[in-house]
Amino acid sequence: MNFSEFSFWWILLLFCVPFFTARLVGQSCHLWRGSFDMVGIAALSMLLFFHASATSFLVFVVQILFNYGMVRWMITRPPAQERLIATVLIILDVCVLAYFKYLTFFVEDALGLVMPVSSSWRSQFPLPVLGGIPPGVSFYTFQMVAFVVDSLKARRKKAIEFMDYVNFVAFFPQIVAGPIERRSSLLPQVSQFRFKFTAANWDWGFRWLSLGLFMKFVLADNIAPYIDLQETANAWLVWFYAFLFTLRIYFDFAGYSFIALGIARILGVRLTVNFLAPYTSQSINEFWRRWHVSLSTWFRDYVFLPLMGSRKAWAPAFLFITFTLSGFWHGAAWNFILWGAYHGALLLLLRYAGRPFQKTVSQYIKQPQALSWALTFGSIILGCVFFMEVNTPRLFTKLLTLVTPWAYSWHNLSHALSHLSLNESVALGLTLLLAVGFLLVEHIAVWQERALAYELFLVPWVAKTLLVLTILLAANIPSEFIYFEF
Amino acid sequence: MQTSRTLLGWIATAALAWGAGSLYTAYGGSSTTWLRSMYERKMTLAQAIASPKLIVTGGSGAHYTIDSDVLEAALDRPVINLGIDGQVGLNLILPSVLPQVRAGDTVVLIPEYLLLEQEAGLGERSGPFAIATGHPFVGHIPPQQLAQDAMLFGVPSLRALVKSSLDLATLKRVTGYYDDPLTEHGDPTLDKERIGEWWLLRIKRPAMPYPLERIAQFREDVEAQGGTLLLALPWVYADANDPETRANIQATATALSEIAPVVYDFSTLNIQSDPDLFTDTHYHLTASGRALRSQALAQQIQPLLAD
Repeated sequence: MNFSEFSFWWILLLFCVPFFTARLVGQSCHLWRGSFDMVGIAALSMLLFFHASATSFLVFVVQILFNYGMVRWMITRPPAQERLIATVLIILDVCVLAYFKYLTFFVEDALGLVMPVSSSWRSQFPLPVLGGIPPGVSFYTFQMVAFVVDSLKARRKKAIEFMDYVNFVAFFPQIVAGPIERRSSLLPQVSQFRFKFTAANWDWGFRWLSLGLFMKFVLADNIAPYIDLQETANAWLVWFYAFLFTLRIYFDFAGYSFIALGIARILGVRLTVNFLAPYTSQSINEFWRRWHVSLSTWFRDYVFLPLMGSRKAWAPAFLFITFTLSGFWHGAAWNFILWGAYHGALLLLLRYAGRPFQKTVSQYIKQPQALSWALTFGSIILGCVFFMEVNTPRLFTKLLTLVTPWAYSWHNLSHALSHLSLNESVALGLTLLLAVGFLLVEHIAVWQERALAYELFLVPWVAKTLLVLTILLAANIPSEFIYFEF
Repeated sequence: MQTSRTLLGWIATAALAWGAGSLYTAYGGSSTTWLRSMYERKMTLAQAIASPKLIVTGGSGAHYTIDSDVLEAALDRPVINLGIDGQVGLNLILPSVLPQVRAGDTVVLIPEYLLLEQEAGLGERSGPFAIATGHPFVGHIPPQQLAQDAMLFGVPSLRALVKSSLDLATLKRVTGYYDDPLTEHGDPTLDKERIGEWWLLRIKRPAMPYPLERIAQFREDVEAQGGTLLLALPWVYADANDPETRANIQATATALSEIAPVVYDFSTLNIQSDPDLFTDTHYHLTASGRALRSQALAQQIQPLLAD
């Protein structure tokens, strides 16, 4: 759901006021049944999805019915048939994703490389070709696929109730942009769902909400207007915009995830903490353990490990393939594939050259951690040059600029330093100050080996301060959540 | 009990921050601050003017287009300029004028074409203006929009706070678009400067049905208070040779004339071709342009006042 759209909160309010009033009255008259909670949360999730996209809603409902029916049938069959049904179901789910998300890319960008594609192919295609992708299709498809695999592997084959499945797949805080939850973590919480409005849930929910709102509306949205994708000639600015994008994408996506976490917590559901201070990482390995955790572990468990099987000698190759696929999951464009391949290559580089490099460096530097962090963060910023640029020719121009010495001229530097007005410079400077301060607090929490990297932000008075800062400093023209495009 | 205390803590924190943000929006130097301030100043000035008077109203296309002294001298009656801002919308501009209308007064509404294109009589500043002036339920703002505007009223934004802080640091005062002092007739005292290149405006559609209905209602309201409504087409820097623009302005004039007498130059349709008459927008006139426009307006409404 798009938390930056007021209409989301409005519909939530319009639903919640009458529903919870009826619940309160019903409970006081002993007329309220627990199952009404279960139906209520499902209705709310569906209503919000319908509001987000009425046309996609129908597809979503069909997918829910089909997946539920197939899984229910699957677990009653003998093992061989069970595997076959699971395979067919996963292929169909992925085909739906491919149709909505990758069709245009496959035809125009991939097929177009080897043969001419008619500009009118869309009208000749037997199925309608959509302009955009349905909200959340990348996320809920992965959650559905994981559910099929987990149901297949489950020791006790017990059919689940339809409403529980609906609440597992459609749970509104996380359906559109994750976290991608597993059967073992979310299903027990939404089975026979009951609202648990305890003081602790309210409090923790608001703390996560404050953190998420601050990251999204103060940090990400105040950085977003300064990122200029058109700049290709000035190397300083290409780096600077990539740096800004690196900050923005983290604050934007982690902010979304924490808002989702907060709303879910208020309702009594604990979602996966999807980010673990990724920019404190001292290696790319560590970065991927901290960034978009639910996606990384999904690819590990449902792509990398099954691909590799017992062929451990081939692990590096499968790792590279997995990361390239992971890049492709992010978007139907070459830059995302390149971005995935870039990170895969970095992991291989680390695997083969990491230790010798560290050994050499530690002879000259007493604390090589700082260098490791700087190299990792620099690599992430360079990766963002790929990620932020969907226009492939422009991406290559930028990469060329980055390796061209005279693109780092004094003239370019002075232009980079003076291209903003005084008001813009101060506003961006303050935002960056807050952002760097934020990352510093993350570093402190990691250095102190706290249980959670965001622990310091969740201290009651800090969380309340973040809420105050959000109300006073939030950008009043919010930008779209980046991950909604995926 | 513990739940209530927890909730109360969070609500109180949010309310305090929102309250501080609202104070800034209403009084601290945001664009709404100056709009509210200009509106309140104009209302105070209007109360001090004796009837029968001439009230000129509309958006900034009225505020920045007349010279009340010229009108007053030509028409021999007091004049007050109650033009506000087009983005406030007709639904709020028109009711804001009514309390100042007395028996014998003449109201001249100069609606810029932007106002006549608003399908619901509302603009992007309707909500903030309604809240800042203490009349949130005037103007039939839809509940969702009003709720959103009310929420954002207490969210000033980093950019706005930075701008105000830098203004204070460098100019020792906060600034805004409508911050220039007003004359005792409610006229502006400064000419805005245009930064971009000039281009000829095209009027792409005639007046929409709702604004016409709203103006017809306004006529009834004015007459119920013993006043008279006149309408005037705005002076606009536009493409006089564009048939579509001319046709749309003509259609607008015809539609308006069914509500109340409309004054304009029948040959030019009030389309101006000299950019030197204008300041920062296609409607806002320079001081000399305002004097010129007011002379023309006085000549056009003189016969109607005599009637």
